[in-house]
Amino acid sequence: MSSVHAMQQKETLQKRLQHELEQYQKTQKDYQKYINGRQQLDAQLSENTLVMDELGRLETAANVYKMIGPVLVKQDLDEAKQNVQKRIDYINGELKRHDGLLQNLEKKQDEHKETLANLQKHYQQAQQAQAKVNSR
Amino acid sequence: MTSMAGKQPQLQSIDIQQLPLQQLNALVQQLEQEIELFGNSLNSLKLAQGKFVESQECLNKVGPENKEKDILVPLTSSMYVPGQLSDVENILIDIGTGYYVEMPVESGKDYFRRKVDYVSKQMEKIQPILQEKYRMKQVAVEILQSKMQLMQQQAASSKA
Repeated sequence: MSSVHAMQQKETLQKRLQHELEQYQKTQKDYQKYINGRQQLDAQLSENTLVMDELGRLETAANVYKMIGPVLVKQDLDEAKQNVQKRIDYINGELKRHDGLLQNLEKKQDEHKETLANLQKHYQQAQQAQAKVNSR
Repeated sequence: MTSMAGKQPQLQSIDIQQLPLQQLNALVQQLEQEIELFGNSLNSLKLAQGKFVESQECLNKVGPENKEKDILVPLTSSMYVPGQLSDVENILIDIGTGYYVEMPVESGKDYFRRKVDYVSKQMEKIQPILQEKYRMKQVAVEILQSKMQLMQQQAASSKA
């Protein structure tokens, strides 16, 4: 094996390594993003369930107001319940979507880790091969 | 040995003993982060609890004995206008996500009592976890220190 060939091989490996690393970091970033999103959804869900709980305790004649901007607008209790229930359903859907995405990203991360380890091994081998050629 | 680790919890502490220094360090850091997280949550809960208790106590002042009395209504935190307490039977409570409910004073008190209970329960859930994490961190730090000492001694004796 000529030293030029070894060097070329090393360079292509280096490029692939770099590319793979970038991909890996990108996946990690995405993962973090969805984790944060999930936490937010979780908080919203618990807040909405608490509100639903409170609305459930009220008598049907109770006055319920909704804050729209700076004003309080009177709202029907049933309507309010429906609204909150709709929100809870939506958040639950979003949570499921996030869970799916997170699972996917986890798998992707593992794949990237594996290919990275492989590439690193090849790169080291190439480096050793080059050193051998050079020392001759 | 490792296959038995799951069955006998005692063996787990041995596992920590055998961790390399780097991993032990990472473990301590992770535990510290977790402790901070739970500590922050606990603080927020305490704050929330305080607010609910305060509101509950304020409601004690809203009763027939204070009807028609003069009050100062805060428009901003530093500006007040005079007013009169005209309705001492009903109050408006923010139940979250932009919904406000009008209810009699007694139900309002009940609402805050329930909220305080709820928050207290959450705190009771977190407290033991936080203590457990503290304990784990202490153990990890102790092992880390003893390992460092051992390494220093070894380094010193190999030099001499």
